[in-house]
Amino acid sequence: MNCPSRTQENLGILLDYVAGRLDSVNAASFEAHMATCPECAEFGRRQAMVWDALDVWEPAPVSLDFNRRLWQRIDVMESAPWYRRLADFMRFTSWKPAIPLTAAALVIAAGFLFDHPARDTAPSAPTASMQQTEVDQVQQTLDDIQLLHQFDATNPGS
Amino acid sequence: MLRVKDGDEDSFRVLLEKHRNPVVHFVYRMVQDRAVSEELAQEVFLRVYRSRATYEPTARFTTWLFRIATHVALNSLRDGRNERRHERLDDTRDGEMPAREVSDKLPSAEQRLVYQVRLQEVRDAIALLPEKQRAAVLMHKYEEMEYSQIATVLECSESAVKSLLFRAYESLRARLGHMSKGGLG
Repeated sequence: MNCPSRTQENLGILLDYVAGRLDSVNAASFEAHMATCPECAEFGRRQAMVWDALDVWEPAPVSLDFNRRLWQRIDVMESAPWYRRLADFMRFTSWKPAIPLTAAALVIAAGFLFDHPARDTAPSAPTASMQQTEVDQVQQTLDDIQLLHQFDATNPGS
Repeated sequence: MLRVKDGDEDSFRVLLEKHRNPVVHFVYRMVQDRAVSEELAQEVFLRVYRSRATYEPTARFTTWLFRIATHVALNSLRDGRNERRHERLDDTRDGEMPAREVSDKLPSAEQRLVYQVRLQEVRDAIALLPEKQRAAVLMHKYEEMEYSQIATVLECSESAVKSLLFRAYESLRARLGHMSKGGLG
């Protein structure tokens, strides 16, 4: 027999032996191995000790009204509107794994927006007022030229 | 479960009777809080009831049930919904000595004290295991589930389950190795 403590595949033999789940043939074979393998013998001894220690923990009986409370909840669930059912479902669903994903998605989206600013943006306020000033100046110049023409027409000899 | 799927409510009652204690005890040993564990176990059965119409028998019912129970318990632990409050020993009903630990006469005060110290050590040792190892040990030791079932519940391979169990029992041996069988005095 290959030493179970040295091969990954045979780890189950060690655990099954102590749990009493090995059939008689395999149990006898493992016992024969333990007689020559101090490592497995020590493992078996200490594992049996832990196995017995765990037997100490017997939980208390379930509450007597467990079934009644469950049927009450089923009745409430069956008569609840869809949004209440959804809320109940979400109450016992873990959202923690979604938090880093959402944060990562937001960072990527923000990075994309900063890297690709919108091209057809409306002119900013200073640009608009500058354009208005230029129109006023052109209008003023045209008025001045027209005034000069009128001046020339009324004073041809000057 | 297939009868439940067909709308047979009595079959759901039978399922509940059969699996209620294992599920409540498993969840209790996972979260170590009585009130929370019963609430979570109810959530497990509510989910079973809700999913009855879409249930497909791809695995054994017990495996499917414990998959839901493990999922619910792990979510609760990760969300920290149950603040880990170790109940005081004299508060907790599983401070009662199991029948096989007691001889034909009533246990003495000293025996009860020794038993409660041992119980607390076991609970602490289990609570210190990483969640997946804890679930694997509880299913292996107390529910007597096969490696293939535990693997399906934990969504890993059988050899991964054996490794998980080996590491978990190694930790438990280190923490509980001093507890001898005749420790009750």
